[in-house]
Amino acid sequence: MSDAEAPPLPQPDAHTQAFWDACRERRLEVSACRDCDHLFLPPGPCCPQCWSTSLATRAVSGGGSVYSYVVYRRTYHPGMPAPYVVALVSLDEGPRMISNIVGCEPEAVEVDMPVRLVFETAGEFLLPRFEPISACATSAATGGNAS
Amino acid sequence: MSRRAVIAGVGHSAFGKLPDQSAWALEVEAVSKAVSDAGLAPRDVDGLLTDPGPVQGILEGITPHFLRLGAQLGLNPTYTGSEILGGAGSVAIIERAVLAVEAGQCDVCVCVYGDSALSSTGAYGYGRGDESAFGFFGAVGLHALAAQRHMHTYGTRREQLGEVAVAARAHAARTPHAQKRRELSIDDYMTADPLVEPLCRFDCCLVSDGAAAVVITTEERAADLRIPPVPILGHAQAHSLSTYASAGHFESLPAARSGPVAFGQAGVGPSDVDLALLYDCFTIVVLLQLEDYGFCKKGEGGAFVEQGRIGPGGSFPVNTSGGLLAEAYGGGMLHVIEAVRQLRREAGERQVADAEVALVSGHGLGMNTHTTLVLGR
Ligand SMILES: [Zn+2]
Repeated sequence: MSDAEAPPLPQPDAHTQAFWDACRERRLEVSACRDCDHLFLPPGPCCPQCWSTSLATRAVSGGGSVYSYVVYRRTYHPGMPAPYVVALVSLDEGPRMISNIVGCEPEAVEVDMPVRLVFETAGEFLLPRFEPISACATSAATGGNAS
Repeated sequence: MSRRAVIAGVGHSAFGKLPDQSAWALEVEAVSKAVSDAGLAPRDVDGLLTDPGPVQGILEGITPHFLRLGAQLGLNPTYTGSEILGGAGSVAIIERAVLAVEAGQCDVCVCVYGDSALSSTGAYGYGRGDESAFGFFGAVGLHALAAQRHMHTYGTRREQLGEVAVAARAHAARTPHAQKRRELSIDDYMTADPLVEPLCRFDCCLVSDGAAAVVITTEERAADLRIPPVPILGHAQAHSLSTYASAGHFESLPAARSGPVAFGQAGVGPSDVDLALLYDCFTIVVLLQLEDYGFCKKGEGGAFVEQGRIGPGGSFPVNTSGGLLAEAYGGGMLHVIEAVRQLRREAGERQVADAEVALVSGHGLGMNTHTTLVLGR
């Protein structure tokens, strides 16, 4: 696989390095404000709620729900062939994040559907993706349309 | 007579695929036409504000955009700058020009949008930092999230998004300079291949090379010019920069906050608006704005656009030149120009009878920025 065909990978910086390091250890961590207890993503230099710079990280359960989702039917990048599902996932602890819904057909995904975290390898990274909590195993196994 | 800001002139280049002309050259053409339309001369211009568009501004980071254009135009203005607010930028620089001329910072301010997006590559397929690792590319993905959520929450159907695309093409069929002058049927829309579901290519704006400019001056300065000016009755901005962290980010736009401010300044309400030039990078954004500006109730945007209501001859015409979906991608400046032409009764066969009040909007980046103008006559 040439570099041009490799999927795009995260580019950790000073603020996001810890997030990706935790993923590599199969932990999804959100930023936590030590002053007001606000939980947020993506990581950055202050709490968006109170501007405190006293920040920690907190591992979350990995449970969430699909706030909304889209199905890429056109391939935008040779390393990410369509179709695939991109979703905005609301974590049970509050923060929302862009991720993928895997482990089922795109047609089986629904708004507000409960999902759980799965880690999948991409290059040197483990990407936090999500799969449906129910019915996904059947759908994936049969290739059927569960919707 | 006062320092109250008015629009005195408008002008634009051709739009479409123009590989032989740089964005820079197109900007010069648009500025010249707008200044000439106002009956002014180059030496009268003492303000220059620019919106460098998605490719020049965001991808290539042409900085400072105003300097390159201003140098070529031989300007030594008392007020200048460039703004990058995505699709809200064109209305934003007009707003800034209004503030500048009303404060006496300059008397004749040219506002120009330009880009060569169609002759560049990869303009709209860009990734969003680490979100690229999840395959989340392009503005289309963000707006498809909004569409899916709207469909889920309010029962909006794809046919209703299609009504927006069909109306845009019908308007563009009556617009000589439009890029897509062939009409579209709902059947064409419903049978198109999906792009990023629930959106297809007809939900997405065009990509264009071209430039457009508007001249802002004072009511006093415009009094002896050749064309009666178009008064700016109200203007406002509101933004949602917190993106995913904001609970309503994908369900309503900051138009819900900028609209009442602009309407309040103008002394009008949604029912007084005769036509709207709504920033339409994607069909869903038109539905959201119809709701958030109060032209219909929240969630009823889909039903509102049915049966040709926003198309030619409809009871509430929207984007009468075809907008970003069918006229051209003009950054929002072409929306302003169309409003001016309608209010000056220069819109030819697409003229909205008795148009007295027009709303113009800009919307940009990750659904983060929003700008509003209310124009009169
Ligand atoms: Zn805090």
